Formats: sequence, C-alpha cells, structure tokens
Amino acid sequence: MRINRHLPLAVPICISFFSVLLVGYIFSKPASSDIEIAIPLGLPPLEAHQRPVKRQVELGRKLFFDRRLAFNNTNSCAMCHIETQGLTSNQSATAIGMEGRSLNRNAPALYNVAYEKTLFHDGRETDLAQQAWSPLLSSLEMANPSIGSVVDRIRGLEDYKGLFETAFDERGVSMETIGAALASYQRTLLAGNSRFDQWYYGKKAGALSDDEKHGFEVFAGKGSCATCHTIGEKSALFTDGNFYVTGIGYHTAIGAGSRVSKVQLAPGEFVEIKHEDMETYSAPRLNDIGRFAVTLDPKDRWSYKTPGLRNVELTFPYMHDGSLSTLEDVVEFYDKGGYEHDGDRVLQPLGLTAKEKADLVAFLKSLTTAEDKAKHSPYR
Amino acid sequence: MKKLLRSSVCALAVLAVGPSLTIADETCNSPFTSALIKGQEDFLHVWTLGEVGVGDESDKLVTIDVQPNSPTFGKVINSVSVGGRGEAHHTGFTDDRRFLWAGRLDDNKIFIFDLIDPSKPKVVKTITDFADKTGFVGPHTFYATAGRMMIQALSNGKTHDGQTGIVVYNNAGDLISTHPMPLDNGGDGYGYDIGINPAQNVMLTSSFTGWTNYMMDIGQMVKDPEAMKRFGSTMVMWDFKSMKPITTMQVPGAPLEIRWSLRPEDNWAITATALTSKLWLVKQNEKGEWQAKDVGNIGDPSKVPLPVDISITADGKGLWVNTFLDGTTRYYDLTNVEAPKEVYSKKMGSQVNMVSQSFDGKRVYFTTSLLANWDKKGNDNEQWLKAYDWDGKELVEKFTVDFKAEKLGRAHHMKFSAKPTKAAALGE
Repeated sequence: MRINRHLPLAVPICISFFSVLLVGYIFSKPASSDIEIAIPLGLPPLEAHQRPVKRQVELGRKLFFDRRLAFNNTNSCAMCHIETQGLTSNQSATAIGMEGRSLNRNAPALYNVAYEKTLFHDGRETDLAQQAWSPLLSSLEMANPSIGSVVDRIRGLEDYKGLFETAFDERGVSMETIGAALASYQRTLLAGNSRFDQWYYGKKAGALSDDEKHGFEVFAGKGSCATCHTIGEKSALFTDGNFYVTGIGYHTAIGAGSRVSKVQLAPGEFVEIKHEDMETYSAPRLNDIGRFAVTLDPKDRWSYKTPGLRNVELTFPYMHDGSLSTLEDVVEFYDKGGYEHDGDRVLQPLGLTAKEKADLVAFLKSLTTAEDKAKHSPYR
Repeated sequence: MKKLLRSSVCALAVLAVGPSLTIADETCNSPFTSALIKGQEDFLHVWTLGEVGVGDESDKLVTIDVQPNSPTFGKVINSVSVGGRGEAHHTGFTDDRRFLWAGRLDDNKIFIFDLIDPSKPKVVKTITDFADKTGFVGPHTFYATAGRMMIQALSNGKTHDGQTGIVVYNNAGDLISTHPMPLDNGGDGYGYDIGINPAQNVMLTSSFTGWTNYMMDIGQMVKDPEAMKRFGSTMVMWDFKSMKPITTMQVPGAPLEIRWSLRPEDNWAITATALTSKLWLVKQNEKGEWQAKDVGNIGDPSKVPLPVDISITADGKGLWVNTFLDGTTRYYDLTNVEAPKEVYSKKMGSQVNMVSQSFDGKRVYFTTSLLANWDKKGNDNEQWLKAYDWDGKELVEKFTVDFKAEKLGRAHHMKFSAKPTKAAALGE
C-alpha cells in the first residue's frame, strides 16, 4: 500500500469496531512514499521519524543477525536480543559480550523500541540509528576497533554488494546508513494486540478473565504500577520513559543483601555457597551508577528508565540488572517497598494480599502478543 | 592418494585387531586412532589459550620435549601461534594420527596441524565456516572414525544456548553431515563428549552447557539462577552406524568426559558429573538395556569441587579424576566399578583441569586451564604443565613448565606424539 506523503501524519484509518476485533490491527497512515507498516491494536501511531523505511528493513534485519559485525565474528545484535527469548536473553541476568566479558546490565527487550525517546537503561542515547554504534564499538560487546573498520568490513562482504545502494538511493555503506538500516529493522518490532488490548481498547469483554481484570485494577490502583508504566486513553506503551530509583542499583553497588547464593546444581538439587568462597574465581563486578553516568546529577544516582511491559512474560529475568527471576519476584519486590536507597526508602510498601499479587501477575501475562509467544523458546 | 591408502590400511587394521588393541588415553584417544604410543612418548602438545597481558596474547600449540633422554627434556621446543583468542579447548588426532585437529569454542575456528615432524607441528588448513555451514558453535570433542573426524559441538549460532549437535567431516576437512542432539524421548539437546564402543556399535554422548555459560565468568554464573538452570542432565546412547539415538539416560549435573573401559571383557563406560560431583557408570542391564547408575561421590559434593577431566587406565582398574576448584587430583580404584574407591589424592595447585596418562600408566601429566573465564583470578590463576611419574602409590614430580613465566598463556588440552619410527609401531 502506497500512501501519499502529504497526508496528515499518523492518522488512524477508521475501520469498524468489528474489524478491529477481527484483525486486531489499526493501520496508520505513514508519511513517506515507501513506508508501510501495520500498527497493532493498543499502540500509538508512529511519528514520521519513528517509522521504518521499507527498503531498509530487510537490510537492517540482515545486519541485526550478522555475527560478522563483531570483531571476532562471534556476536550479532541478535545474540543478546534473541528472537526466541523475548528480544532479550533469558539465559543470564546480564548480557555476555566479547570473549565472554561481563556487562553490568540486562539486555533490554526491544519490543516497541521505535517509540523510545531515549535508549539504554540509562537513556544515554537519543536516536536509534546512532544507538547501534555503542555496542558495535564497545570493548565489552562487539569490540570493533573503529567505525572505519566496521564500514570497511561490510564493504568487503560479497553478500552486501549493492544492498546499501538499493536501500539508500545509491548511498553506499557508511556509519549513517548502517545505523539507519538497523534502526529501520528494529522499528518493525512492534508488540501489541494482546488480550489486554483486545479487552481494553477493542472492548472485547471476554478477552480477559475476572482474575486478570482484577489484576488490572491492582495495576492501575492500589499497586500504583500505572504511575510509571502508563496507560493512555487510546494506546499504552506501559512506560513514561522517565528514570526512577527503586533501590536495586544502590543495593547492588554497596553489596547489600545476602552474601550467600542458593545455587542449582541439577533440576531440584541446590546448595548454598558463600560469596566469600567464590572470590578466587569471581571477576570484579563492574560498578553501575545508572543515569548519573549520563547527567552527573547526584539525584540520578542509581536511577534507571521505566521499561515497557508488553510481552513482559517473555522477557525475564527482570530489572536493569536481571536480578529478579520471575514476575512473582518483581511483584513481591514492589509490594515490600523496594530496597533502601542511600539511607532512604523511595518506594512505599503496597500491602497487597496474596490474591491481589497473583492477579497482578496474571494481568501482566495478559500483555503478551500471541505471535511473539509462539516464537518464544527460552529453555537451554 | 598415498594418504588415503594409509588411512584405509589403518582402518582395516582397526577392524582386524578389534577394539582391545586400539581403544586407549594415551588412553582417551578414539578407538579408531592408529599407532598408539605404548612406550615412551617423545613430545607433548599443549593446546594453549592466549591470555591478555601474556606474551603475544594468542592461542597457540605448544610442544614440549618429554623424552627423558633428550637434552631438552622438560623444555618448550616449539610454539605455533594461530592468531587471536578464540577459546582454544580440545584437540583430536585423525585416525591415521598424522593430523591434529584443534578447535576454539568462541570463534569456532578449527586448525589442522600436520605432525609429520611432531617436533614442529604446522597448520595446513583452517576451517573458518564451521558455524555458518552447520548452525552449531563451540566445536569441542574431536573424535576420529575411519577416514572421518566427528566433532561434538556445545551450542548454536542462533541463541548461544545449549541446543547443539554432532558434525562429521572427512579427513580432508570437508563437511559430510550434521546430527542434532535429540530433543525427544527425554533428550535435552545438550552435547559435550563422544565415546564410541565399536564392538557394540554404540556411541555414548554427554551434555554440558551453551556459549553463554561456558564463556561467562564462572563467579557471575554461579550467582545467576537463570544461568544455572541451563546445564545438561542427560547421556545419550546412539546406534553408531546409523547415528540414531537408542536411549537417553538421565544423569543430572552436567556429565562430561566419557571413558569406556579398555579391557576386552568389559562393556561399560564411566563419567563424572561436574556440578553434582558424582561418578556414573553406564552399562547394560540383564535385558540388554543401557542404563546410567550413580556409583559414588567425588570429594564433598556440597562443596562443589567441580570434577573436570578424567583418565582411565589401560586395564580399566583405575581412574584419575581432577577436581578443578580445590586443585586436587584423585585416583580411584575401579576394581569394583559399581563402587569406585578413592585411594589417593594430591593437591596439585590452586587449580587443575586436564589429566593425561601414558598407555602404561607410569607417567601422568596435568594442566591448569578450564575455560578462560572459569579459571581462577589473580594469584590463584596458576598456569602450568606438570609431569609426574606414578608408581601406583605416589606421584613424583619430574618437571614443571610455568606457562606464565614462559609467556605462553593458559595450558589446556594435551596430546602425545612420538618420533616417526615409534609412531608407526602399531601393536608394538
């Protein structure tokens, strides 16, 4: 479908309520002549700068999955943002990079990244096309020695011959076109039309169970979750895009909490190991001060961006450092009022009942897109 | 053509003499490997991981003179750097023992060394498309069959988890076939080691973990509940000729190295589980069904000593077991294989991983490195090769090569070689 670029931006096509329920999608009207994308039910229209460029999407996908983009040909974007693991990695709390180097944060799930105003847990990047260069050049991640070496490498690969020129109106491989292609692909990673969307925006009463509906009441009410994980009248990204302290960053940085880990040796078989007994074989953990590293504002110490919650069932483990394994753990964490933060307690205990907690988890699982769940294969 | 003919002759020799003469470490080589060294080995090749800040920081094959009568006994006489760090790990001879295949678990490169002059191994081919062609990553075990090299991978290139498979190349380095690890009938998809019993037409495989875990800092991994869920808990018995699984056995806690008993009258294999610290016996029951049985602890499993390499004696009566985290080697009496008994132990250093013994069991060699990010840190990151004599009662140190002082790196897998006149002495 070609859309005239002079049409008003992002005007939803009016289709019948019945059709919404039937197909589960609303089509936005994109501005560029070669843009075409279906916006799932429950997501806002994409603004012009957020839209993928059709000719660039396949090239971006090829780059995203290409392990040759790492200095040693071992890691691609898709090795940390795994298609079958919620566009994050379900395999480890924090991401593992070049030669197994430890990163200090959980790989962010990329669902609906097109809408993000800032990128990374600390929001240090503001443009998705520019963002790609951070992992490409980080010595912890893909460890390329320079921008030029990446550009030259791709220029030298036979299977990329002509692809950039076709996607970018005869412009070849460059820092800008590599980033733009990757961004176009990632802007297609939209997740909506969940059972929640069908209930809340599609007005399909039976899409959620009574327990899930009760969980939504807790989410929006007593649990105060929707204060940061916002829900709009016509759409919901479940994030306000702002940065907050929960106590987890401070807790980890000062080494608070248990000094003993319960370690699984085999299914159903655990031992407890003291951290002091692990010192001879543990590398020092990289410190992480959160948003402060971007702003140098003391109030931003250990603050992190609110993540979106769509497909949250698939994106475990949770929090910026992957320190909570399950949604039940997350709900329990907030119910207790988080952790102490630098002598203060920023969050307040919620006092949820067991039923409220269980229903809240059930509601969170209703935010899953069926197509993404069908792809999900987290084990091993 | 001559090389092909030689391979065929060796394969025929294997068939003619049967497994009793050809299974052996020297005793952990494939039963299809010809020209076992039953006397004194001349050279020891150590596949060594490059280490940041050490020498050229690259992986290398280090050759050490282990002939006691040589003026360079106990010295490094050759080192071949292959460039970069790719997580050098294991090696394996081709069936004719002319070539040594050496793999890297991270970048998946496989280097084929020509040992025509074993004092100066030379790289004659590098396979760089293992991951692209097979979909698997982490080429771990290199196991010769007749004219073929069978490779057990550890992971895959899509997710870096533990779902993986077996790859077969011919001796020229051409890909022949791939075989996914089973996911049905109790299979968990993981892989680690291969052990073939030709007399029974069976192949036994074990299971470890995927790239994310084996590349990760071990201290971080142990504290990470998601990571610790992702280890293999199975062994699979295959029909070797058809490469079809016969049965999957539950062996919880990452069963690693597989050693079939070398005695002709025996029909069992033994393994050790890394996480649960147990010895497991694999044998047939009265109905002829293959079963795995827990036959004893290794050290104190609650302290997770982390059993790693094992080496069985040629008579199937003894087993060396290294436990990495306490840096200890242990010798088990297997006279009653249903109840192995630890009869000797020795603290080797801060860490110990690989163990290789001569065919007569009189010489035993040890190295330190497990995986680059699993090795200990700081001063506990000792890196050495130690050579011992073993009289059945005590290990007596003969020499040590300090891989840090020699600016070599992390000492890992060992293979013996002999000067050409000895290497030809099949059945000597």
